[in-house]
Amino acid sequence: MSSLLQTHDLTVSYGGLHANSNVNIKAEKGKLTGLIGPNGAGKTTFIDAITGFTNISSGRAEFNGADMAGVTPAARAKAGLVRTFQSLELFEDLTVWDNLIVMAEETKWWSFLADIVKPNRTLGVEEQAEWALNLLGLGEFRDRLTLDLSHGQRKLVSVARSLAASPKLLLLDEPAAGLDTVESQQLGSHLREILNHDITIFLIDHDMGLVLSVCDYIYVLDFGKIIAEGTPEEVRNNPEVIKAYLGESAGEMQASEGDAAARALKGEG
Amino acid sequence: MKDAIGFAFLGMGAGGFIALMATGLVVAFKGSGVINFSHGAVAMYAAFTYNYLRLDGTIRLPLIDILPTHQANIPVRISLASGGPVDKWLAIVISLLMSVLIGAGMHYLVFKPLRNAAPLGKVIGAIGVMLYLQGIALVNFGAENPQPESILFPGDVFTNFLGFGKPLPFESLALAVVAALVGLLLWFNYKFTRFGLATRAAAGNEKGAVLLGYSPERLALSNWVIAAVTAGVAGVFVGSITGALNVVKFTTLIVPALGAALIGSLSSVPIAIAGGIGIGMLQTVVATWMTGQSWFPQWLQSGATDAIPLVIIVLVLFLRGKALPVRGNIQEKRLPLSPYPKRIGWYVAVFVPLGAILAFGLPGDFIFAGLSGKWGFAFTTTLIGAMLMLSYVLLAGYVGQISMVQLSIAGVAAFFMARMTANGTPTPEDPFAVSGPGLAWPIAAILGIIVAVAVGIILGIPALRIRGVQLAVVTIAAAVALQTLYFDNSKLTNLMAGSNAAVPSPTFFGIDIGSTGSAGLTDSPKFALFCVIMLAIMCTIVSNLRRGSTGRRFLAVRANERAAASAGVDVPRTKLLAFGLASALAGMAGVMTAFQQQQISSANWVYFAGLVTLAFAYLGGITSVSGAVIGGVLTGSGLVAVFGAHQSEGLHSYTPVLGGVGMILTAILHPSGQSMLYQPIVQYFGNWLKRARGREWAGVGRRLGPFIVIGLVWGAIGINPWRTDDWSRPWMMALGAFLALFIRNLVILIRSGGHRELGAAEATQEAAA
Repeated sequence: MSSLLQTHDLTVSYGGLHANSNVNIKAEKGKLTGLIGPNGAGKTTFIDAITGFTNISSGRAEFNGADMAGVTPAARAKAGLVRTFQSLELFEDLTVWDNLIVMAEETKWWSFLADIVKPNRTLGVEEQAEWALNLLGLGEFRDRLTLDLSHGQRKLVSVARSLAASPKLLLLDEPAAGLDTVESQQLGSHLREILNHDITIFLIDHDMGLVLSVCDYIYVLDFGKIIAEGTPEEVRNNPEVIKAYLGESAGEMQASEGDAAARALKGEG
Repeated sequence: MKDAIGFAFLGMGAGGFIALMATGLVVAFKGSGVINFSHGAVAMYAAFTYNYLRLDGTIRLPLIDILPTHQANIPVRISLASGGPVDKWLAIVISLLMSVLIGAGMHYLVFKPLRNAAPLGKVIGAIGVMLYLQGIALVNFGAENPQPESILFPGDVFTNFLGFGKPLPFESLALAVVAALVGLLLWFNYKFTRFGLATRAAAGNEKGAVLLGYSPERLALSNWVIAAVTAGVAGVFVGSITGALNVVKFTTLIVPALGAALIGSLSSVPIAIAGGIGIGMLQTVVATWMTGQSWFPQWLQSGATDAIPLVIIVLVLFLRGKALPVRGNIQEKRLPLSPYPKRIGWYVAVFVPLGAILAFGLPGDFIFAGLSGKWGFAFTTTLIGAMLMLSYVLLAGYVGQISMVQLSIAGVAAFFMARMTANGTPTPEDPFAVSGPGLAWPIAAILGIIVAVAVGIILGIPALRIRGVQLAVVTIAAAVALQTLYFDNSKLTNLMAGSNAAVPSPTFFGIDIGSTGSAGLTDSPKFALFCVIMLAIMCTIVSNLRRGSTGRRFLAVRANERAAASAGVDVPRTKLLAFGLASALAGMAGVMTAFQQQQISSANWVYFAGLVTLAFAYLGGITSVSGAVIGGVLTGSGLVAVFGAHQSEGLHSYTPVLGGVGMILTAILHPSGQSMLYQPIVQYFGNWLKRARGREWAGVGRRLGPFIVIGLVWGAIGINPWRTDDWSRPWMMALGAFLALFIRNLVILIRSGGHRELGAAEATQEAAA
């Protein structure tokens, strides 16, 4: 088995607080790996740490066999480790199309000189951007400013933007937050389709329903520690997970009821 | 060493002043999140008020009488003691009340409407207030520079202060004590009172303060008034410490005060006070003692004092990185959108020939013989102003980096070029010729621009960790430092004190394209054409950068640095690229200014002129190339300013005041700048013209004709107080017609409720008729 992303005892501390402690995860190539956990569990910290937006206190993150220590976020993105943000963070002054192109194009140090002479070069990335746009059904919004789109559409733009970069591994930070049930289901089917294009996905969410329905393998994070891992079936029936999500009393529920509990909690903020 | 300590005590007076100013900056920031660049101007107005009360007993309100009649007037001067001086304590009270008035005015008229504006909008608002107060002071107090009266222990001196062998005026020590007392009072106020708690709560989270039942607006008002009063105290009590009064001096002293305020993170009054006194003492030690030491590098002697605040500000901000307070406003607004430039070739094809016609006139001087004399000079000033503003458009408009140092970078290019063309041969006109390699002008100009780019990139390094308005503070300090470190530094310029650097006239294949015209005035049409072509090239470059991958990356960084990094954009490199390119544009503007002026001095590049240029760029439209061109037209001594001054002799002295008001209004009403304002109007009338046939034209004639006739007659008789000599009569008639139409439309707009578009209002009227 080849794992594209692997962390070894990854720890992130702010002062005395361990936001992540000794987290070991693997994202297998071609699979959809999920990371769930209640709010404040350290999910976003984890994604920040492996993409270089937060410093790792100890341990390390390996992407595609290379240690990522000291590599800037921009260089990680260029290496194929591409992320989205929970808060979208789109380029609001650019059109949807330009959002994708910024992500896709490779520039050289002399690009600005070339721009002065001939600004409308496409650098051969249009095909990739077009593919990403159509995959998520955003073709009609191509020339609109992202400012003018609905929240759900902007969520899709943020995924399309990451896809335009031809990622090896796509890290999605809470893509379902703020989406309604139908939109969430659509997103799930988009994700399965992306997998067919040789892109590995690492999905972070607290929406149990989405994660349990689309992921191949799931890690559960609580208070910065991995408390469970396994296939959706295993995680669904894990009493630790139910406890983390529902508290002590719910942990006493029968494992068979866990399924119903997970469904009841779907969309819990 | 004993000497050094003795000198340090001498700096306590200046330190006390800096500390008081820093306190006001901290208070204003706490209260409303604005770094108040106009703080020095508030102190200046209070100082002038006090001194004129003591000179002739008149209060001069910070207003102008805008009513153009001799009968009905808005009172500006109030005489209290019929020509004689007012009592000292009464004068102090009135001066501080004047500060209260100004502080309240700033809150209600400027910063309350701007509370949700982008950071750059607030900066422009502050610059507008600064310009307004300086302009008003020039009108009200004249250009005199009186010696201010010392209030605190005038004349008393410690002959040997603390045994360090240096005499110290009582006044210096007293000012430091006043600063400490004010600081203590404010510290107590913010620490232990309900008001202080509420202010701190609002500074942390405005929304939270609202939920707790406090009005952030009333808190902001109180804090603005307190800030203005501390400025007033500083201005009134500074006495003789900073020398003769003038309208810009305190504005320069804002830079060390900003340094002190930043040491206190813009939140701690006691640390700001201590930092301010410390900076004042350090500056005095450097100026009086250290520069005299044999080990001190000679070339640093002139600028060392002004470099101290820059070094402190950069160190404090750079080390703290992101740790500085970022206020949680109710709503953070962005810069206006940057439109995608279209039809660039078409614009060039229209505007370059138009520029050539403006320069040379129509063939055979048919009807129009070209702009000459002051008009020719105003034309090239406009074109060069637009070049400089392009540099702001690229840096602030596209990448979101607020830099106030671009004019100084232009100066670097100009001074370096001047030195490179110098050859050290004395001539009868220039007996003290500057030494230099005597290079040809194109090589010297390119070298100048390269040096400007290098300086710009170095100044861009702080931008890698410092953002928004804090970066503005760094660049303003850099501008002040460049002034004394380079332009006023005879070790680097090799200029005699007070003399200007000569710039040779450029030639193009033997043709003189310098700015000297046939009558010896600086109005050569060939030079104007040179400027037109340069500007066209620069506009094309900036437009193309915006349209290409570079522009996408610039806007991505402007929109969101985190997301840009995640998109594989190298944010630091992109920022430095922007600083380099913007500096190249500024450098070109500097070189062209040098050719236009033919001799340059440090006065061409004073930092506050740079602030004003930024403000005019914002006025024109900071995010677009067309905005830069409009900014150039509006700029000081540009076409609009000269036209205004020509048409109305009295108007000239009000130019800075009107500029300040214009900036404030633009920042509040139309943050995208004038260019975006004209676009829909031009589009509307363009579409109308395309559709219009005889019937439509007749309709317009019926509706507008009578007003046009009335306007023409009004203009021919004379519009008081506008001038009406023979030459300007046709212009006056056109102006009269324009004003009549303007008033007509204004009335329609007001009657229709003010919220309807002009077109809609006319349609309604048509339907009614």
